[in-house]
Amino acid sequence: MRTILRKVFLVDLLQGMWVTFRTQHPKNIVTEQYPFERPKIAERYRGAPRLNVNPENGQTLCISCDLCALACPEALIVVGWERNPETKRKDLITFTFDTSRCMFCGLCEDACPVDALELTQDFELASYSREGAIFDRQILEEGIQPKKYVF
Amino acid sequence: MPDDPKPEGTPSPESAPSPEAAQAPVTPPVAAPVAAAKPPAAAAAKPPAPAAPKAPAVMASTAWESDLAEALSAEFGGDAPECLTYLGQPFLVAKPESIVPLIQHLQDAHDFDYLVDITAVHWPERAEPFDVIYVLYSFSRNERIRIKIRIAEGFKPLTATMVHPSADWLEREVYDMFGIEFDEHPNMRRILLPDEWETFPLRKENSILKMDQRWVQENLGIESGQ
Amino acid sequence: MAETFLDSTELVLNMGPQHPSTHGVLRVIVKLDGEKVLGTECVIGYLHRGVEKIAENRTYTMFAPYVDRIDYIAAVSNGLGYCLAVEKLLNVEAPARAQAIRVILTELNRIGSHLLWLGTHALDIGAITPLFYCMREREYTLDIFEKYCGARLTTHAFRIGGLQYETYEGFEKECLAFCDLFLPKVDEYEELLTGNRIWRKRLIDVGILNEADCKAFGVTGPMLRAAGCKWDIRKALPYCGYEKYDFEIPTRENGDTYDRYMVRMQEMRQSARIIRQAVEGLPAGPITAKVPKVIKPPVGEAYVSIEAPKGELGYYIVSDGTTQPYRCRVRPPSFVNLQALDKMARGSLVADLVAIIGTIDIVLGEVDR
Repeated sequence: MRTILRKVFLVDLLQGMWVTFRTQHPKNIVTEQYPFERPKIAERYRGAPRLNVNPENGQTLCISCDLCALACPEALIVVGWERNPETKRKDLITFTFDTSRCMFCGLCEDACPVDALELTQDFELASYSREGAIFDRQILEEGIQPKKYVF
Repeated sequence: MPDDPKPEGTPSPESAPSPEAAQAPVTPPVAAPVAAAKPPAAAAAKPPAPAAPKAPAVMASTAWESDLAEALSAEFGGDAPECLTYLGQPFLVAKPESIVPLIQHLQDAHDFDYLVDITAVHWPERAEPFDVIYVLYSFSRNERIRIKIRIAEGFKPLTATMVHPSADWLEREVYDMFGIEFDEHPNMRRILLPDEWETFPLRKENSILKMDQRWVQENLGIESGQ
Repeated sequence: MAETFLDSTELVLNMGPQHPSTHGVLRVIVKLDGEKVLGTECVIGYLHRGVEKIAENRTYTMFAPYVDRIDYIAAVSNGLGYCLAVEKLLNVEAPARAQAIRVILTELNRIGSHLLWLGTHALDIGAITPLFYCMREREYTLDIFEKYCGARLTTHAFRIGGLQYETYEGFEKECLAFCDLFLPKVDEYEELLTGNRIWRKRLIDVGILNEADCKAFGVTGPMLRAAGCKWDIRKALPYCGYEKYDFEIPTRENGDTYDRYMVRMQEMRQSARIIRQAVEGLPAGPITAKVPKVIKPPVGEAYVSIEAPKGELGYYIVSDGTTQPYRCRVRPPSFVNLQALDKMARGSLVADLVAIIGTIDIVLGEVDR
């Protein structure tokens, strides 16, 4: 008898529907409206690489030790340097970081002894060409500038 | 096929295996069961790979003393596999011809009823360049062992599919990657790579950049896959 | 002509490699007699990336991020298995704190993996709603990963010898909050599915694989437990201090698709239980063992396996004394489990085949490596 009543009044269905409707309450909505609403990125997030500069004089922190290039599993970092005849230290000339092959494992960041190379919270890495994914020193120091679209 | 250049021309001190003559490689294991606690014998059988100048490149394994090792030496007598252990993980070194009977016996008498994995290792400098490794587990004993056989190029070990159906794909993968064919296997084809692929990628002579250029050009319509 | 027209003929049908219910690039060649499956053959390898070859060309440290990509749904478990295998070769053990954090993260990952499985499996059967709910809860686990190690899927959370990162502020609180939030949600999924008549009709007695067959085909993980074998590597051969935690191995008897669903639901609850215990007993101390900067294990070999969400995940590493593994074999649970598909699907209907593929919980990245 009870089973018949359950069937007639669609109890099972209503139970299931109740779960669905319950989660439609505005405070239960979890969808992020991405381009309008920026997601909160964790502090340790491994995103676009950045080459830090000294904020005081704008000089690079990189000491051209090449450790990041050695640590990289994909060998996608190329450090170009020149020996400065006066200071006898290596001067950084170029720094290329091929993000098209990067898997953001963070090993380069771990290897850096002076915290010059860092993976930042920037995550908008799309570009129109493959070449656009290869970051040179300028992009690395200034950070990526994704195009802002107005909707 | 890689079977054609048989490396029999390289006479090795311990054994000169020919794929047909099943008696030839008996020599090393014969001594083993008599003196089970003689690990250097096993170590010597593995010629140090690229003539490394420093530390002998051999595994510091010791004889495995356990009920199972004793039982096996009692049951198989002179043909018993060598029982060794390294880092607390026991492994047996068996003769290539006796591998399937050994797995069968371990299943019937010692309850090793789960074939975990079959894989291979390529040692190009060795006279018997391939290790085929079988990992077995027993649910009732809660014990895991590895069985290792050393085989020559072109030697076809018997398939273990009659004992453990799970060996089917695992053996196909070994064939796919190393070119070791398993005798009487129901479906000895490539499994991961395309059927027309020509090289066996996990052999040491194939570097990571080497690939089947012809296949890539014919089937993908691109100049190179690199 | 009429005779041949009425003659029933067998039909060979390709399912996949691009089919929404094959979970990736699995191609199943199905031989059909009407709706009935006479036999199946899997064609795999579309996602083969040669991970084992890559391992031979990378140092031990460098290879760690690659293992995350083997089973990208359960990247943390893969990383754990690899790190444990190399640690075994080096004969070191991670400190107690590192082990506890590893347990927390792998269990979170197990929950995440099972949730993704549940959502997609339900979607295959025809229930859309659970997918959204599962994704919603999985997001919490991913957020914890992101805050802990900076990546959501391919985490690279563990390093050989321990961990790279100390926990962030509020890690313990968030894990406990997740457990509190998650357990009622599992009940919610069950409310939607367990008693659901369509769900039961579609799953019960479909794709039966009994215990003997499971062992013969080397099937492990929830599939084996659904067939009644109380076996879990976390209990049988404990690693990472799993012997300290109090949890049960859920089992069922029939070994059909429904039982596998029930086992996984129970496992999620048990995982939450383990997380709670591990967080509450999280010891203080160092997070890395003493390992040399350049990892050079002595000549030797080791096989280490862990209980990944999908089954036994083993790493067999041969070292020749250099900085690169001489051979690194991954024993993937999905690959071995998938082999039993033919056994399960024979005699069932095409629609059941979809349910059966879903219930194996395969990740093609792991099948093909």
